[in-house]
Amino acid sequence: MFEINIALRNIKARRRQTTFSVIAVALSVAIIIVSMSMLTGFRENIIETTIENQAHIMVLPKENEDYISLYYGLEGFIREQEGVAAVSSYYKGNAAIQYRHNVEGAVLSGVRPVDEDRVLNVKKDMIAGEFESITRSGNRIILGSKLADKLEVGMDDTVTVSFPGSKPSDFKITGIIQRGTSADETLAYANLEQVQDFYGKSGIVTGIGIRVSDVYAVEPLADRIELETGYDAESWMEQSSEILNLLDTQKQFVFIFYLMIFAISGFSIANILTMIVMEKVGEIGMLLAMGTSRKSILGIFLLEAGILGIIGVIIGTVLGYVSCILLISYTIPVPPEMYFGLDHLPIRIAPKNFLTAGTFSMIINILAGINPARRASKMDPVEAIHSV
Amino acid sequence: MSKENIIQITDLTKVYGDGVKIKALDNVNLTIGRGEFMAIVGPSGSGKSTLLNMIGILDTPTSGTITLDRVDITKASEKERSKMRNQKLGFIFQYHHLLPDFNAVENVMMPLLINGIKPSNARAKAHTMLKEVGLGERVNHRPKQLSGGENQRVAIARALANSPDIVIGDELTGNLDSGTSEKIYELLRKLNREHDQTFILVTHDERMAEKTERIIRLVDGKITEDKST
Ligand SMILES: Nc1ncnc2c1ncn2[C@@H]1O[C@H](COP(=O)(O)OP(=O)(O)OP(=O)(O)O)[C@@H](O)[C@H]1O
Ligand SMILES: [Mg+2]
Repeated sequence: MFEINIALRNIKARRRQTTFSVIAVALSVAIIIVSMSMLTGFRENIIETTIENQAHIMVLPKENEDYISLYYGLEGFIREQEGVAAVSSYYKGNAAIQYRHNVEGAVLSGVRPVDEDRVLNVKKDMIAGEFESITRSGNRIILGSKLADKLEVGMDDTVTVSFPGSKPSDFKITGIIQRGTSADETLAYANLEQVQDFYGKSGIVTGIGIRVSDVYAVEPLADRIELETGYDAESWMEQSSEILNLLDTQKQFVFIFYLMIFAISGFSIANILTMIVMEKVGEIGMLLAMGTSRKSILGIFLLEAGILGIIGVIIGTVLGYVSCILLISYTIPVPPEMYFGLDHLPIRIAPKNFLTAGTFSMIINILAGINPARRASKMDPVEAIHSV
Repeated sequence: MSKENIIQITDLTKVYGDGVKIKALDNVNLTIGRGEFMAIVGPSGSGKSTLLNMIGILDTPTSGTITLDRVDITKASEKERSKMRNQKLGFIFQYHHLLPDFNAVENVMMPLLINGIKPSNARAKAHTMLKEVGLGERVNHRPKQLSGGENQRVAIARALANSPDIVIGDELTGNLDSGTSEKIYELLRKLNREHDQTFILVTHDERMAEKTERIIRLVDGKITEDKST
């Protein structure tokens, strides 16, 4: 127990220098916590928008085929699978939409509105009109907000939809939708049967969207559907794997910077400890002469590293937390094209990050203490005592 | 001598250096009894400190044996050596090496705490020891607040805290004026009488040596004189 006493006194007697190394540790921990919180924020934000804006599983035509025929049976099979919350078959095709002298390319989706809403939550994004309005008799269409802007159309205007090989058809606009993504520039919704008719492809669809109850258990379900039906079933994880892999690679890269930042704080601990050891050569010699074991001497200086480290980590954790809170409340704007379409820094406070940063910092601080502590414990008492 | 032997040194030789060899001690034989109050004198470089460090288990001999209280320390493990230094030996050096951030009583407690004694008991013992060296009123002072002589008294109290059998002092008055040195010697003599501990003091100062009961003279690592006063 006297080891703790000596360690504490050594630190207290050098308050000014030890404060510096504590600050170094605290800053490193705080910086890393903020940085980790940003990465977590990016990742979770991307996952959330993905889960929100696209079907969790998309069943697509078999290889070398363009369509899914007999989709009623397939839909029925999918509905029976455990973990499936909703299913929506769609026919998606390219089309040109014309209004007076404006022509824009669009992706025309034929859907059953109730099913589509269950899978993609589209109703809440309607800024004008009703999503179900497309089922009313006659050709009805809902346009993405930006597409409508470009065409300079509004509710109840009639646009002409055309596609090579199809007969141009007039559609009445009964709704405007804003998904909040780039899809708003090309999105056009119409009733499934009418779109099939338009393309002359009755009884077939281009895909089936599935919403699942547990988004993280999506892979086995997709695998099962693929295995049992022979259709290609892609989960949202597969679809966004590229961006998630990119984030993981970035994480490893950033980790090297974390290590460098930690190393700086580690050096400041090593530095102050080396100074204390050199100042105390005579006293260390005397402690050895009085029968203090070498293990105890080692313990004294490792304790000092540990105490400085833990104070730094505690302060750094608080500082990191406060910084995250401030950054969240000020929502710093960023250019969306650089940040995967996000318009502000998405900071997420995750306990795991605090724990990781704190633990890593502590490990590095103790490691930093090993060299000076060993030097102290290996001293020859006779030389040490006479070294004044 | 009728006293029980506490230290038995047989054919002790210490050679320093890998290339150029320096024989600091050359076949020394010496027996010291319990409670003796003795001095080791001799010219500079004659091997006084070397001999004292051997007895204090701070250094190991090249050949020969040393037994302290019938234990052969040349065969002891590092752990046993530490334990013996703590419990059987007390050290006082030219520089007191008190811990500057601890006050007098805390410094005196240190060997007791190293020995695993409860802090409350250690504190009581330390107070007693400080009273014995005449510093009963200065227990809460730090080394910076005490004079050289006073600090050396604290160091003496610390050396005696664990009631060791043997107290060794290497030039322990080397930094003090002659008046203070004399008082320190008188104090050591008094403690030696009261506690029946063996005191071995290395000194340059023949006048101080005369205050002891037995003087060993070393020249070139050999004992040339062993006289009782
Ligand atoms: N660690 C060492 N390495 C090499 N030589 C040493 C070492 N320690 C002591 N010596 C040599 O051993 C001899 C005896 O030294 P020692 O310190 O015992 O002398 P001393 O009698 O205490 O001298 P002084 O009165 O000056 O303190 C000297 O020649 C010294 O140079
Ligand atoms: Mg000497």
